[in-house]
Amino acid sequence: MVDFGTAELTLEMIQASQAGMSAVGAGLAVGLTGVGTGLAEMGIGAAAVGATAENRDMFGLALLFTVIPETIVIFGLVVALLLLF
Amino acid sequence: MLRPERMRRLLIAAPKSEIDTIIRELYRHNVYHIEDFVPESSSEALSIGHPLSGASDAASALIKVRAIENACGIDPENVEVKTKLPTSKVREMIRTDLPVIQKEAEDLVGSRSRLETRQKEHEQRARELEPFTAVPLDLEFYRGYTRFTVFTGHITHDVEIDVPNEKYFSDKVAGNMIVVVVQNEHREQVERTLLDAGFQAIPVPEETGAPADRLKAHMEEARRIEDEIAGVNAKIAGIRERHTDFLVACDELLTADVERAEAPLRFATTEETFITEGWVPEDRADKILDALEKATNGRIYIEELEIEEDTSVPVEYENPSFASPTQMLMDVYARPRYSEIDPTLMVAIVFPIFFGMILGDVGYGAVLLALSLGLRKFLKGEGGRALLKVLSYASISSIVFGVLYSEFLGFSLPWEPLVFSRHLNIGGHAGGHGPQVVELMIIAIWIGILHITLGRVLGILNARRLYHGRHATRAVISHAGWLGVMWGILLIIWSFFPIPMMPDLTGFPVAIAAGVVLLVAGVIGIAQENALEVVELPTIVSHVLSYARLVAVGLSSVAIAMVVNYISIGMMIEPQLEAITPVGVILIIVGILVFLMGHVLNTALGLLGGGLHSIRLHYVEFFTKFYKGGGKKYNPFGMKSKFTEE
Repeated sequence: MVDFGTAELTLEMIQASQAGMSAVGAGLAVGLTGVGTGLAEMGIGAAAVGATAENRDMFGLALLFTVIPETIVIFGLVVALLLLF
Repeated sequence: MLRPERMRRLLIAAPKSEIDTIIRELYRHNVYHIEDFVPESSSEALSIGHPLSGASDAASALIKVRAIENACGIDPENVEVKTKLPTSKVREMIRTDLPVIQKEAEDLVGSRSRLETRQKEHEQRARELEPFTAVPLDLEFYRGYTRFTVFTGHITHDVEIDVPNEKYFSDKVAGNMIVVVVQNEHREQVERTLLDAGFQAIPVPEETGAPADRLKAHMEEARRIEDEIAGVNAKIAGIRERHTDFLVACDELLTADVERAEAPLRFATTEETFITEGWVPEDRADKILDALEKATNGRIYIEELEIEEDTSVPVEYENPSFASPTQMLMDVYARPRYSEIDPTLMVAIVFPIFFGMILGDVGYGAVLLALSLGLRKFLKGEGGRALLKVLSYASISSIVFGVLYSEFLGFSLPWEPLVFSRHLNIGGHAGGHGPQVVELMIIAIWIGILHITLGRVLGILNARRLYHGRHATRAVISHAGWLGVMWGILLIIWSFFPIPMMPDLTGFPVAIAAGVVLLVAGVIGIAQENALEVVELPTIVSHVLSYARLVAVGLSSVAIAMVVNYISIGMMIEPQLEAITPVGVILIIVGILVFLMGHVLNTALGLLGGGLHSIRLHYVEFFTKFYKGGGKKYNPFGMKSKFTEE
């Protein structure tokens, strides 16, 4: 009879579970940093659109300001890539 | 190269009788940047000059031309030059032809707006009549009673009226329609009943006959007027067709006239003479000096003044021709100051490389190259052209990196990647050893370290040009301090952790010591200029790591491409090809659509990601290390004539 409660963990099971955990971690890294970037870009984007509406020449600079917080999600992406590979 | 064009500051003084000749000569050469004269309250001897005669005539003619251009939708920016008209002919035509064209255009625009008003009126009438078409009564029956009251309007539902009445209800029109006729004495009672049911009164149109017929008549009239408007529009288009060349030539000639005539407003004058100060590029200065001398027979005094302040000098780029489109990217940030290093050349070289590193794909590169060449027909403005040039360089670099990475729309080309592989293990055909993320990342970090080091070295050079004395020394030491801290941190990291493709210093305790010394000395160097800047120290790490985007953004674009391929080909098209069924054919078509849509989306994302991230690395990580910017644009007095010739 197999006792499910005290089934022993084999090495493969541990490795598989660790691989799964690192995949979850990678997902969290990209997802949460994405939320952070989104929050940061929210205000900048709104102001940038306003500034561009006032003055068309602002467009280049406004677009640039908007992507500055992109760094956060890039760091998340880097961490995820390092976790996965 | 690497610095803006050298300028000479000139002071020109001459008797007022020569003002016409001199303005004409300056305008023709198109090199003299006028420094506007600002009258000071202290010196009353000098005052602003008066416009030349003919200024107001030219200005009012110009307004007429612009109005016609506006009405006909002509934009001189986007007009292709066919033939250059001689100025004498244009002047003649301004006298003879312009009033005729103006009258014609004005009449047409006027009649168009009249027709539009009438069309709107008829449409409004038709809208008002619409609810009445649901009631079988002619319009004259609604009016003219002395003993009866007529209620007409929208209502939410039909109601029972408990006094003698005549009632029509219809739910065929939007908002329902009710017509109730009652004797005057029951009016208030009935009104209350109706209002309880959400009654909204609408006025009866002032017309006679059956509402449906009238509605049809108005609609027909509106349609007829629309045809007339189309006819007028065709005539306006005809004006555009016939007179565009002449109008843009007029515009150019008159603009030049107005600018010339108003130039004295920027000069200082005394009773008999005038004085102007301005800037001329060094290599073209002698030519214009000779020309002025000759034109005025020596009745002119020119003195070269010393350049006092570097912010007052107008700045013109001086770059090899392949780098000049990149100046547009510099202007978006800020024009360099006169005495500082102009980094346009570096941006022109490094920007396409970054772009290629991110979007290294032969397919996307080819699409973008075709796009940038194809759009040239439609974008005629100077800025747009420059942007397309930059894009075409970037896409060529993207193709080159695509060959190195062995990528074509997410598929691999028939050879192994020549540098590091970015092929992800996505889809059924995944093979090979997967992406070399760590190696690529370290390369990106190396690029960051070197790029930032270059920025700081330029910062040291700039500090010596921009500042003087103690201030300059401090700024130089502070820049060196930033470099020291960065390399100190690197030495310490290298001596604790062996990292592939970076120096392994784990066996050398000396390196730790050297690193710590550099770090401490660097912090002191930074603090001696401004102690508050020490809080910025973490940016050293974040700015270097920021270059990891060169790999990360690129990999995400590869991932999207491979996922698109896997969904469209691996999951939809290939399984159906084994045994073709009618459903399978539809699935194949859907698969092709998914493939196209996905790659169009990814091209747009790649363009945005590759372009914005590359330029951002320059603006935020590179320029902040050394670049001040804020130079005035060199805007010479004169014009390159496009549509006219002398």
